[in-house]
Amino acid sequence: MKKVITAIVALVILALMAWGYAESAAHHGHGDAKVNPKETIFEHLGDTYGWEVPFSHTKKISLPIIAFAKGGGLHCFMSSRVTGGDTWQDGDASFKIPHEGDYKGKLVQVLDDGTEYRPWDFSITKNVLGILIAAALVILMAMSLRKWYKREGMKGPKGFKGMLELVIDFVYTDTIKPIMGKDAPKYGPYLLTAFFFILTMNLLGLIVIFPGGANLTGNLAVTMVLALITFAVTNLTGTKHYWKDIFWPDVPIALKCPVPMMPLIEFLGILTKPLALMVRLFANMLGGHMVVIVLILLIMVFAQMFGTAVGAGTAIISVLLSLFMLVLDTLISFIQAFVFTLLSTIFISMAHIHEEHKALTE
Amino acid sequence: MELFKPEFGLVFWMFLAFACLYFILAKWAWPFIIKSMDERAALIDKGVAYAQEAKSKLDNAKRDADALVADARKQQADILRDAAKMKTEIIEQAKAEAAVEAKKVTDAAQVSIEQSRKESEHQLRQDVGAYALQIAEQVIRRNMSDDKAQRDLVKKLLTEVESSN
Repeated sequence: MKKVITAIVALVILALMAWGYAESAAHHGHGDAKVNPKETIFEHLGDTYGWEVPFSHTKKISLPIIAFAKGGGLHCFMSSRVTGGDTWQDGDASFKIPHEGDYKGKLVQVLDDGTEYRPWDFSITKNVLGILIAAALVILMAMSLRKWYKREGMKGPKGFKGMLELVIDFVYTDTIKPIMGKDAPKYGPYLLTAFFFILTMNLLGLIVIFPGGANLTGNLAVTMVLALITFAVTNLTGTKHYWKDIFWPDVPIALKCPVPMMPLIEFLGILTKPLALMVRLFANMLGGHMVVIVLILLIMVFAQMFGTAVGAGTAIISVLLSLFMLVLDTLISFIQAFVFTLLSTIFISMAHIHEEHKALTE
Repeated sequence: MELFKPEFGLVFWMFLAFACLYFILAKWAWPFIIKSMDERAALIDKGVAYAQEAKSKLDNAKRDADALVADARKQQADILRDAAKMKTEIIEQAKAEAAVEAKKVTDAAQVSIEQSRKESEHQLRQDVGAYALQIAEQVIRRNMSDDKAQRDLVKKLLTEVESSN
């Protein structure tokens, strides 16, 4: 009975909220500012120079901009100088963020002749700050567990630390150790770091307001760095047999002698592995975020097209569906972090084939 | 499509953040955490083995104790039985010894009685002899004077002897 009442109350609140949303969207739509789904989606998924204050679309937390201007010179100033669309004169260089053109939404230097030049941009953008927050959280988590062991010794950690230990045990003892064998202590720290960093970034991305909300792992730059590190570790630590298997695999001579077909395929394999890592994480996280945003945008679009009532109806369905999507994304966050770690583990261990291992597998 | 063009700044910061994170965690966190976890797992395994061993030991001890108790009971019964037997034996022996001793005492008494009888006999004989000699002496002295008187005298003396005895 209690559950039924709770459900009814929740539905009424949801409907009222939906009505409000839809009405404001419909009124909004009557003005000049039409809802532009594509722009909204990419604005939310992309990187910006400030961080939106919770529940406000216009106010932004100002973040530092660091840029090397043309002709030398390091320029540092707060992003609030330029996010409004103004041009900011910093020393002998002037900067602005154009709303259109090749460098739309990016910081550019306005040269004396009026042309736009993209400087070396090391700004602490929303995504950079998000990355730093995620890294700080991971350090905090790991260090809290370390402190527990230092202080409590052999006692089992409870609560959040207990869960953390469970996850570490799952990733390290049950996944990395069986695959890597005696190499596990050497590469375990990298893989665990990657796992927890990705997991934290994924989960932070699901939190709508500051300090979450930055689409970190749904950004190709972030996943590219992660994949490149795995690529580097794999190929820089590869054994002789690993390289022999690539350039002179155990296949009939015809397949590798005049035309090096197999070596070519194997070599392409080296490149596709990190590419797959990069794109898999990127696409999964981006997809999840995009679906949620699209579902919410449907409310505005329908309200604009068919009026408040339809928008309100859509809102209930949209909110429920996006709630479901967010729960699913939480699961995906974990799965994708784990898959990245698992595949990295397999790639690295495959680069450490020794003669005795080969003899066993053949 | 900004999303598909990796920004150099973001790549730089991401790499820097990851490198710092890796060096901090690989130096201070992961090896220590993994070591602690392994140690605890080993400790728990050891504890379980120890507990199992202790339990089996305890079971064995119980069995041993039961056996000991049963053994002790048996011994106690044996001892009690032996004691009872010994008691009767001692009593019997004491009885026999007492009988022997009593016999010895009676024998000694008999011997002393016999001896005193013999002594008194001997005394009697001496006394009788002495009297006889006295009488004979008196008789011999009177003999010379009168036969009748002599006979009377003997008669009188004998009466004397008889009465004195």
